[in-house]
Amino acid sequence: MTSILNPTELKQQRRLLVIWCITFLIIFPFLISLGLMMRMNQGGLADLPPNTFYSYMTMHGLGMAGILFSITLGAANYLISSRYVKLKIGFQYFVYFLILIGFLTLIFATIIGGFAAGWYVLYPLPFIGASWPAWSTALTTVSLIVLGVAWLLGSMHVLLALAKRYGGFSRLMGWNYIVGKTPDEPLPPMAMIATVALVPAVLSFLSAAVFLVMFLFQYFEPSLAFDPLFMKNMIFFFGHVIVNITMYLAVGWVYTLLPEYSKRDWGVDRIFAISWNGSFIFIIFAYLHHLYMDFAQPSGLQFAGQIASYLSAVPVTVVTMFGVIGQLYHSKVKWTMVPFVFLLGTMGWAIGGFAALVDSTIYVNKVLHNTLWVPAHFHTYMLAGVVLYIFGFLYYFSTPEAERKTENYSKLGIWIYLIGVYGFLLMFYLGGMNSVPRRYDKYVGITVGDVQSTGMLLARIAAYFVMAILAGLLVMYVSLITRIAKKFNE
Amino acid sequence: MIPNNLFLSIQTSAAIVSLLGAILVVCIVLFIIGTSSVDEEKHQAKGKVYKLRVKYFYGLMAAIVLLLFFTMQTLPYFKHKTTRSDEVVTVVGAQWAWKMDHGTTEVKAKEFEGLNDITLPSNKVIQFNVMSADVNHNFAIYNDKGDIVAQTQAMPNYTNHLQYTFEERGEYHILCLEYCGMAHAYMTGSIHIE
Repeated sequence: MTSILNPTELKQQRRLLVIWCITFLIIFPFLISLGLMMRMNQGGLADLPPNTFYSYMTMHGLGMAGILFSITLGAANYLISSRYVKLKIGFQYFVYFLILIGFLTLIFATIIGGFAAGWYVLYPLPFIGASWPAWSTALTTVSLIVLGVAWLLGSMHVLLALAKRYGGFSRLMGWNYIVGKTPDEPLPPMAMIATVALVPAVLSFLSAAVFLVMFLFQYFEPSLAFDPLFMKNMIFFFGHVIVNITMYLAVGWVYTLLPEYSKRDWGVDRIFAISWNGSFIFIIFAYLHHLYMDFAQPSGLQFAGQIASYLSAVPVTVVTMFGVIGQLYHSKVKWTMVPFVFLLGTMGWAIGGFAALVDSTIYVNKVLHNTLWVPAHFHTYMLAGVVLYIFGFLYYFSTPEAERKTENYSKLGIWIYLIGVYGFLLMFYLGGMNSVPRRYDKYVGITVGDVQSTGMLLARIAAYFVMAILAGLLVMYVSLITRIAKKFNE
Repeated sequence: MIPNNLFLSIQTSAAIVSLLGAILVVCIVLFIIGTSSVDEEKHQAKGKVYKLRVKYFYGLMAAIVLLLFFTMQTLPYFKHKTTRSDEVVTVVGAQWAWKMDHGTTEVKAKEFEGLNDITLPSNKVIQFNVMSADVNHNFAIYNDKGDIVAQTQAMPNYTNHLQYTFEERGEYHILCLEYCGMAHAYMTGSIHIE
């Protein structure tokens, strides 16, 4: 694929992407290790003080959502700037360093400072009954503001550049395709998907900005009190959207790169445009399913949550997943690392998405809400979906162009990783099925039925599978890190 | 009206449905990998997939409409408005204990006094008015086998009305299912049904 950049510009973009990749490859296993400690603690294999457990939980959740979105944005930046529209390298570095500062301060506030209100900092928990020092609440709030500003700027940068290049928001959303006016210059799928993902992202960052500033107000004036249901809506809107659009941004490069292996076209057409416009709406409303057990929430919003959640499956499966099948069915594709991992990522997304749909049914959610079923489905979505798409991208990026269609790297690492992931996930699903609660540092306080013993046994087994995940990553890292590092001087 | 349990608990049914879904997805992936070496003209191959896609689309839309229709017959939000309660119980979640008492209350959640166990009759419609004295909690009722049978959030400034009829006598347990601070995992209570 020829680049729109000159060799110097391309080298600059490549170097920044290498920095992004290395950052991700360091932070990702660190955050998994926190998760491992949590499962070991729940299984009785470790004995963490409660505040330590919950501060790990907070860092693990915020860190994972943050690093996966950040690397995805970084990778999307590289693809967009090298193929479609130039992005300012200096500004991208500025965003990168803001994100890095945000991460480092967040690690300090949680691991050192002990801030432990969970990823969702559910108001008013950060201010009432806290067992951590007040400064760590303030530092977490500030670090989240820094991260939010960085993501907002990074997203706006891409959106504005794309809008300028392709003639505005309506063109980027493919509305001309919907009304039957196919443009002379076809819109790349990545451009439209980035728009569909990043516009809700901008809205979610603004929502986060509002509640974080309210946090700061309360920090300085403790007598203030805000409406908890309103705050909960804001928080879950932010949290759901950022996780949801991380997957969509990653799907953008699957649309872009998979055709290079299948040798089949995969472009924007009318059905594609209608489908992704649908996703745009469903991204915004699906978060409501997080509040099903808040009976005080207006019931119209509860219905909207289930309807949006169900309908979100339509564009995803009809267009994207059938699209992947259309790319690969009878294609004589050589199962090198990239198409193989992309297919596995789509499989994980489908499995996790289906489990999410089951739980997005209010009738079911009333007994699965806040059990281990919830982390089960979003860990499937992330570990078996988004992360595999990211590794597919990393293998694509680090493989010399001439070797992309012939290379066949050892898949040992990915197989060990997959065994670890699906074993680990199965323990979560079984936990959910057995009503084991989520966000418990230990299960010893539970005296009902077999919940305690089941929870502990599943946590112990899960811990061993997490070790397999780390081992799989290690095997992958042996070759991947050297290959990525080489790209720095290419 | 869909009963709470048909043949299996909702949890088990959800797990079986999800497992079947996962098996189907894995089979599709294995089929794609297993048959990928077949050489077929690309438009013809894509045409076959897209033809199937149309059928899938109509099937999916029909399934969504049916599922929405049936699953929304039984929602936990309106029961207290449509069904008369035989008994009302006030529940207040506070870091880190449940306080319960018979009847409604006029006092603020923070000042409410109650015990973390209560005795209630079987086969009577019980309405729990659930509140919080401080942060978000979640009032989850477990039967003696360890299955969740009902739950609602306990939120500051709001009252959530949860109706439930205990059909079996014996012990039910309460756990907190919303992270509420350090002793969250120990915030328990009991309901004796006689």
